[in-house]
Order: sequence, then C-alpha cells, then structure tokens
Amino acid sequence: MSIVNGGVDPFTVEVIRNALTAIAEEMSLIIMRSARSPLLREAGDLSSALTDASGGLVAQGRDIPAHLGIMGSTVTEFLKRVPAHRLQPGDVWFLNLPEVGGNHLPDVKAIRPVFAEGKLQAFAVNLAHWADIGGARPGSYVPDALDTWQEGLRISPLRLFTADGPDREKLDLVIANVRGGSEREGDILAQMAATRSAEARLHELFDRHSAAKVQDAIDNLHDQSESEMRAAIRALPDGVYEGEDFLDNDGIDRSPIAVRVKITVKGDEAVFDFSDTDGAARGPLNATPFTAAASVFYAMKAIAGPDIQPNAGCARPLTIITRPGSLLNPPRESPVVGGNHETSQRIVDAIFKALEPAVPARLSAGGSTTSGLLLFSGIDPRTGRWVTLYEVHGGGEGARIDRDGCPVVRAHMSNVMNTPAEIIEAFYPIRIERQTLRRHSGGDGLHCGGDGQIRCYRIMGPEMAMTSMVERCDVPPFGLQGGRPGKPFRIELIKASGETAAVDGKTHIRLHKDDRIVIETSGGGGYGAIPRTGTQ
Amino acid sequence: MVRSWTVGVDVGGTFTDVVATDQLTGAVRTAKTLTRAKDPIGGIEAACHSVELAMDDISDLILGTTMATNAIVEGRLAKTALIATAGFADTVDIGRQNRRELYRMDVTPRPEPLVPPGLRLEAAERLDAEGRTVTSLDDGEAKRLADAVKALGVESVAVCLLHSYVDGRHEIRIGEELRHKTPFVALSHELNPEPREFERMNSTILNAALMPTVARYLRRLEDRLGKGTRLHLFHSAGGMASAASVETRPLSMALSGPAAGVAAAARVASQLQLPAVIAFDMGGTTTDVSIVVDGKAQIGSNHRLAGYPIRQMMVGVESIGAGGGSIARVENGAVRVGPDSAGSDPGPACYGLGGTQPTVTDANLVLGYLDAERVLGGTVCLDTQRAAASLSSVARAVGTSIHEAALGIHRVANANMVRALRRVTVESGVDARACALLAFGGAGPMHAVALAREFGISRVIVPRYSSAFSALGCLVADMRYAEQRSLRMPGSAWDSARLAQVVDGITARLATPLPKSGHDGDGLKVDVVGLVRYREQSDTVEVPLTAPYDPSAISAAFEAAHRRLYGFATDEGWELEAVRVTVFAGANRPIGPVPRATALRSCKASRRAQCWFEAGGPATTSFYDREALIPDERIAGPAIIEDPWSTVVVPPGAAVWADGHANLQITAIETAR
Repeated sequence: MSIVNGGVDPFTVEVIRNALTAIAEEMSLIIMRSARSPLLREAGDLSSALTDASGGLVAQGRDIPAHLGIMGSTVTEFLKRVPAHRLQPGDVWFLNLPEVGGNHLPDVKAIRPVFAEGKLQAFAVNLAHWADIGGARPGSYVPDALDTWQEGLRISPLRLFTADGPDREKLDLVIANVRGGSEREGDILAQMAATRSAEARLHELFDRHSAAKVQDAIDNLHDQSESEMRAAIRALPDGVYEGEDFLDNDGIDRSPIAVRVKITVKGDEAVFDFSDTDGAARGPLNATPFTAAASVFYAMKAIAGPDIQPNAGCARPLTIITRPGSLLNPPRESPVVGGNHETSQRIVDAIFKALEPAVPARLSAGGSTTSGLLLFSGIDPRTGRWVTLYEVHGGGEGARIDRDGCPVVRAHMSNVMNTPAEIIEAFYPIRIERQTLRRHSGGDGLHCGGDGQIRCYRIMGPEMAMTSMVERCDVPPFGLQGGRPGKPFRIELIKASGETAAVDGKTHIRLHKDDRIVIETSGGGGYGAIPRTGTQ
Repeated sequence: MVRSWTVGVDVGGTFTDVVATDQLTGAVRTAKTLTRAKDPIGGIEAACHSVELAMDDISDLILGTTMATNAIVEGRLAKTALIATAGFADTVDIGRQNRRELYRMDVTPRPEPLVPPGLRLEAAERLDAEGRTVTSLDDGEAKRLADAVKALGVESVAVCLLHSYVDGRHEIRIGEELRHKTPFVALSHELNPEPREFERMNSTILNAALMPTVARYLRRLEDRLGKGTRLHLFHSAGGMASAASVETRPLSMALSGPAAGVAAAARVASQLQLPAVIAFDMGGTTTDVSIVVDGKAQIGSNHRLAGYPIRQMMVGVESIGAGGGSIARVENGAVRVGPDSAGSDPGPACYGLGGTQPTVTDANLVLGYLDAERVLGGTVCLDTQRAAASLSSVARAVGTSIHEAALGIHRVANANMVRALRRVTVESGVDARACALLAFGGAGPMHAVALAREFGISRVIVPRYSSAFSALGCLVADMRYAEQRSLRMPGSAWDSARLAQVVDGITARLATPLPKSGHDGDGLKVDVVGLVRYREQSDTVEVPLTAPYDPSAISAAFEAAHRRLYGFATDEGWELEAVRVTVFAGANRPIGPVPRATALRSCKASRRAQCWFEAGGPATTSFYDREALIPDERIAGPAIIEDPWSTVVVPPGAAVWADGHANLQITAIETAR
C-alpha cells in the first residue's frame, strides 16, 4: 500500500482491531458461561480487555463503563509491583488492591502475560465481581466499615497459575479467606480459562500478521482513539465550567459530601480538576483516582463521542486531577466498596451539572445514579444452604430536551439487570409480593422524568440479614433547565407484627420470617420549566 | 389431473425465492421474483407461476416468510390485553431495567412496553415456585377478568401468571372463561414453560398480538391454494408446522427464513458428512451466521426481536447488520464499514438510484468480481463509473488508489464478519478451524474464501441452489416440533420415572398434529436433549438423553461436554435444568438428479477479465458458467463462477470443483503454495 502508518495500512489496522475486539469479547463470553457467581452469570458484572506490553489498554470486550478507566490502569500499576522480567508464559496473576489500578475489593482482576517471538507482547486481563471477598459481612458490603481490612481479603499481585497448573497452596489461601468455597473456585477457574483462550487467539493473530505488525496496528489504534477524543472535546465550547453534586452521606457520618469539578475546555484538550471535592470519607464511599478516570471517560463518551473506541489513546488529551487525601484520592487504609458504583455516579452528575450552561441539549436530567443495592443473605430452609441475593434497583430516567424519561432503567456507569421474581423465589427464601411502577415519582417539567419502581420482598426463612447500599435517598435526582427533581429513594421495613420503620440507605439489619422490605426507587429529574398558567 | 409438485417458497424482504420439485419425475425448477409487500398472497402465487406451476399442480406448499417478523418490527400488532398475577402487571414496563445503548442518551433506553397501562389487568391468584397455591383463583375472579377484557374491546389477550411454568392450572381456568368472550387467547405456560416472568410475558403478548393478523393471512392463503394443496409453514426451530399450529403460535414464524437456510445447510452437511459447518448467509443489509454440528442445527430459546426479548425454540442464528449495502467511511484516520447501510433504496452507488456513498458492493464491482451486465438475473445493471467515483472519497482520505481502497473495504467487511463467526463458534464450543464454511445468499459466495482465510478455515462449500437456499430448506424440511420445559432436577435426587413421564407427555402432545399433516406415527423420530449445569452455574450444557435416563451416564456426558466447552470440569453437584424434546417426521424429499454437462470434455471459460485480489495489480481471471462445470474437474484460481443470481470468487491460491451433488467445493488455502 502506498500509505504507511508505521508500517501498516489503515485497512489492516481495522482488520486487526476487529480481531482484537473479538478476542476480548470471547473472554467475557467464556466467563459469563462458566462462572458461578450469579453476579457474573446472570448480571454480567465483568469486563475483559487486552493491553500492550506496557499495560496500555488496546481493546475491551463487554463494555461496562465503570470498568473502562480501571482496566486501563490495572496492568500499568501491576507492572510497577511485578516487573516484566519476573513474568513467564503460562502465568495468571490475580489481584484486587484498590491502589494497584483498582476500584473496590470484590472486583478481582486476572492478568496473563502473552509472549510471542521470545518476548512479552501483550496482556489478557479480565475483571469479575466476586459475590464475596470476605470481610465483616456476607457479600462483602460493609456499610459501616471504617477501614479497608473490614471490607475483605486484599489480594496483592499473586501468581495463582503457572504453565504447570494451579499453585494449590496459594489458591487455597484465597479460598480460605472468602465465603462460598467451590463457587469462588469456579469463578477463579472461569477467569483463568478466559485468559487462556485469549492467549491462544493472540498467538493465531501474531502468526498471521507478525507480532511487529500487530504492535504497529496497536500504536495506530491508540492514535485513532486520541483523535476521536480530541474531536469530542472540540465539540464542547471553550470555557471553564464548574459543577457539584452531593452524596447523601458516607454511612458513618450523617452529613452530605460534595463532589466538585472544574472543567477547563480549551481547543481539543480538557482538564477535569476535582481538587475542591470534600476530604476522604470515614465510611466506604471513597473512590480511587482510577474510578474518577472511569467516570470522566464515561461522561465524555456519553456527552460528546459515543463511538470513541476505548483504549489508552483516549486518555492523552484529558488531564484528571484529584487531590491526595480527598474523597477521590483517599489514603490507602480508606474503605472504598461503595465508591465504585455510588461516588463514580456522583462524579458523572457533577460533570453534567457543570456542563449544563454549555450543552444542555446534549444532557439528560438526573437519573437513579446509585446501585440501589439490597443484599439479602441467610440459610434457605428448603435446602439448608447459605444463599446471598445481590439485587440492584433502577429508577426513572432523567428527561431530555426532546422527550420524557423512561421508567425504571439503570443510569450511566452501570447497566446491571434485576433478578426475575421467579428466579428469586426459586433460589432464595424470599417472596416478591409485588413489582410495580412508582407512579408520579418523576420530576415535572416540559418533559417529565421517568417513574421509579416499587418492589416488596417478604422473608420466608426464619432469619435473614440485609445490607443496603443506596444513594439518592436524601439528595434527589436533579432537574435541568428549570425542570423539577425526581422523588428520592425510600426504603421501609414492615415487620411481621405490622409495625413499620424507615430503613437507612446504608445499613445492616436482621430480618425475620414474614418481615417485608419495600423499596421505592427514585423518579428521574424533569427538563425545562413549565410556563406559569395564565401567561400566553 | 395429478398434483405431483412440492414447492418451497421463501418470502424475503426484497426477493421471493422458489424451488419446486416434481415427486414423479424428480425434475427441479427454481426462480426468484420480487416480493410484493402490498399483496403477499398474490406474490406467492406469482412465485409459483414463475416456475410454470399453477396452484392445482401443487400437492404441498412449504412457506418461509418474514410476515410475523415484519409485523413486530413495523408495530402492526393487534390491540392486546394482558392478565398478570396481582402486583405484576407493570413487569411489562419494568423489564430487566437495563438499557440497550450504554453511551447513547438520545435514544430511548427500551422500546415501548407491549401493553399500555390501560390494558393491563391483574388476577387475584398466586402459586409459589414449587407450584403450590398461595392465593387460590376462584371462579368469580376468572369470570370478572373475562368481563373486564370484554369491556376493553381488545382483539387478543395474553395471560402470564407467576410460576405458571411449574403448573398452568390458573392460566387454564382463566383461558376457559376468556375463550367464551374472545377468539384469540395466548397462555404463557403453553408457549414458554420456563421461568423469568418478563421474558415469558413478552413472548406471550407477542404471540397474542400476532394471532389475528396471522390467522387472516393463513385463511386467505388457504382459500387461494384450494383444498387440494397442503400448506405447511417453516418455523423458527428449523422444521415444518401445520397452518393450524402456527395460528396458535404465530411467534414461531419469527425466524422462518433464516431457519430454512440453516435447515438446508444441515441437509448439505449430512449429505457431505461434514462434522461441523458454519452457515454463512450474506445478503444486502444483513448477514446471518449459524452453526451445524453433526448435521444438526443449534437450537436455543433465548432471543431478541426489535428490542424485545423472546423465549421460544429457535435455530441459533447470529444476525449482524452488515452486507453488500454496508457503507464505508474514514473518520479520524480510522476506516469503518457499516453499521450504516445503503439498503436497497437508494442502494449502492453502482445501482445508479441516487446513492453516492461507497458500499461493499461498489468495492466488489470495482475489483472486477461482478459482471456489470448480468447481475441479479439481469434486472439491475451496475455502473462501474459510479462505483469508482463513490470509492474515491475513501481512497483520497487514506491516500491509496481506488483499487487499493476497494480491496481494503472488502477485507474490512470480512473482518466484521469474523467477529460474528467467532461468537457462534465460541458459544457452541467448536474448534473453528475444523469447520467448513457453507456460503449462500446474494453476497456470501463472493466473500467466502477471503473470509475463510481470515478465520483460518480451509474448506469452503457453495451449495447447489445457493441463491435460493432458504426456499430449498423449505423443500427438504422435516415436519418438526420442539418444546423445552423447566425441570430443575438435581443429580443427587434423580427421578428417572418423573423425567420419562415428562418426556412422554411432551412427545405425545407434539406428535398429535403430525398425522393430520400427512405423516403417520410410525415414521416419528424423537430427540431428547437435557440442559445440564452445575448447581450454581447459569448457562447450561446440552447433553443427549436416552431412556432409561441413567444419572451416571448423564453425569459423565455432562462433564465431557463441559470440559470441551470451557476446558475444565469439577466434581460439584449438577442439575438437569430443563429438557427439550423434538419430535420429527422426516420428509426426506430428494433434491433432484444432478444435471450432467456431458457434451463438454473440459470446463471452458466463458470469458476472461482483469480482477483485483492484491494491491500489486490485477490478475487475468477466467469466468465460468456454474451450470457448465464438469463434475470433479478442478479449476485453479483466480477464477469466478457465475450463475444468474450470484458470483463465486475463487482468488489466486484457491481451487474449485463441482462435486457429484453439484455443490461447489473450494480449497481456500492451497497447500502446495
């Protein structure tokens, strides 16, 4: 070909891009099909990626926004702990440390170095949310955790598999420290098997095109994504934009916590400065800088460039600043479990509110930017087995300039589905008494926010524990351009005796037979002020 | 007058294909006509006329049609009410609470709910997950619901009650009352006896909403055919069904056309004794990929149509929105082909109908693969100048010649297909390199060899009648019904008597309509597959089940299959999640004798022309008429084999020959090179 982009033509780059994406997609398919945790098999709370030899993200499979910025940092940070010369063909390393390119402990990453032509060429990496990673409470959500050790097992980079097979003693150490023995071992095997298939596919690709040509194509793909991100930034008017939104509380102290952003857009570069965000929380609502990066990437894609290919090139025109010691760059000992899906969402909200004066027509009003997580666990008397139901709850979508919000849908950083009532009743000692729309919960406006939902859980076993990790109970989803906010979340306990009590968004309670939990999810914010009646 | 012809008709979006065979002489006729969207019945009649048959020549007409799919996609559905368990009618709105586009906030997260709030009714009744009564359904309640439905003025009613997949007694009771008041009633436990209320509800509503349209269509078609012609329909699970059974389950027609193509592929795979085949059907706007292992199409129950999840037995087809009409563009230095398509209006630039953007078809024309004069049976002439002009934008943007750009677009289109091929092989646990690629449809044979090379497949087959392959699938189909039922039987509490009872019950019910359709019970075959998983796993593995259903044999077969699919197996407890029973009566119609071009001693090229296969320059390429090929005579690439409707590209290094069944066999990768 006459055109040379570092030795590879643009058509071959596109052919290799498709092949790399197919490899990442295949990894996720394998995990979903063979894993044990319901979170992986039903809800697909996992991601897969390929990186280059230095850890730069190359391709991502099943694209979970919350994982995007994370996967881009995991291998880079891993290589700071484990230098490349210690890696061998056949290794699979596992880790979950938040400070090593991580987000929270339940998201465990598996990393396999891939060699060809005698040298390290790439990494196959996947991230899977384990249903339990140990710690103070089943399910590893500890709403009143004061440090990271209460949240579970901290796995620093650990070689669980070599070319000779599993390292049985290390594997046993991990399994001994988390709940759900064989289920966890199944997840580990699924993550390992997925990286093995990725390695085989990468070898086929290197054989077909040569490793050097694939590397050239990867450099090219990084350049492409960089120019896609620059184009997205150019689509925003130059200026300095400030926005803030608030977490209800951190589960320990009762006061709201501010996430503040100052966005400076200049030409094709942008700075996201979170320095004015409040200090690190005592409770588990802290987020890592990697999570902050994931939120910024998501917001940029959603607002300005939905087709940007996720890889290391995206990051080049962006500068993300977090202040050490703050909520988004907390000390090492800080608990973080909720930061991953609560605080990350509030970062997106703050960015949206900052950009309201600049590009209101591109934005949606506030949605249910929380996992709305209720976690039930206990013995199922029908089987005698310990079961844990991890259930997320979506609310109404925020309205837009040209339409109402949709009822009951997950917002922004997450897209995890619910568990059908028929599955819950078959596998957990719980009855779903009803699941209905929460009518008139969306905020008013020229266009109204979508309605939330109401779901009622009745405990059928003698006893269960319930943990909540729900935001937007106090601070409601915001309206845009004069639209009204949606109704906030509300959780109520109706005891078997008939006595009722409000349940906090971040708490841990014990439930008994015939107790009921009713969760009402938030309505979306409205868009546009309703003109006063009487004016023509 | 003897009615001796069996006719397969596949009504697609643009073309209606026909393959007809005379059961007395074995003669075969085939043709392609334009689909008449406004006059579907007249279109079917015209298709029969195009192979010189009148309605009273025809003993059996087997029809594949996109009618049901189009009705859903275009929203032409009957006004339908929903009856759900108290507290669950809004499930149709809540769904699984996920959104379809992660980063596109401008599009609505989900399609509109299938039943609006005013048509949702709730029944005071409830069963638990074991089928025990929590709230009984009294007669008054059933009658009240029937009256309420009557007052709504709907044409159809869908009934979907909680846990009816375990026991349908409450649905049956309500159904009895409803049938006094309204003709079209769909009960969820009959259509999809599996858990997951939202998916079952959607499937039930879509069935109910299609019933009136489909019933009217079938009645008019039967009137036109007359009493002497038996009408069969090709359903999504890869077999024929009677018109009566389709009337009660119209959603079973959703994948009719693609399923017929897969059925024909399965037939060819058996004929050639190929252990694993990837069926590759590339058309103008979509490409369907599926897999056939040991002569059997893969069947699944988890699908999505127009954004709605549906659960019913269907051939596993991976459909991607890419084809000859896919548009190429260059943005931020990246070359992309699709997802935008020029469709058939305006179509590729070379059609001269107003399209100016470069498409895959334009690239293929510029490369010399397509004969501008004779494409599409001579109905459309292609304009090479317009094609080249459209490609110049891409060529300029990346700084290459027009021909290099065309080659690049051809390759990128194939790379998009590779991802679909990868998904189907991964999901069925088949080693891709051991597969043969079976290419059909308008554009499939043009891309097959290059695609096979990209994917690492060495053997390509372009079957006989490749351009009317779905119609052929209709013609050679079995009469076949399938049903899947949830069981949840752990290996540790195995009850082979109960399993036998369930299997026999389903078999008896599925077999009932068969004799009426001209098949006797003696020829019945039954295929039983267990869907087995580790107790804590979600996805299941298919394990063949045979009486007396010995659990240790099932356990061993499951572990072997799990090891093959995932590379490991453990000693955890397993469970039989569901059982799938397929009852079929083989039609086994012959496809007709192979014409022999005995007059010629060797294959003679009809012409020679310059075609591009690599950037260095064009190669002198021989063109052959497919009908004139001598069996078993090998032709080395570069060569192009043409029939009136499609073009088979054999690049340098590959070789092609017609086998004794008139299939084209191609070695994609020449070992000698």
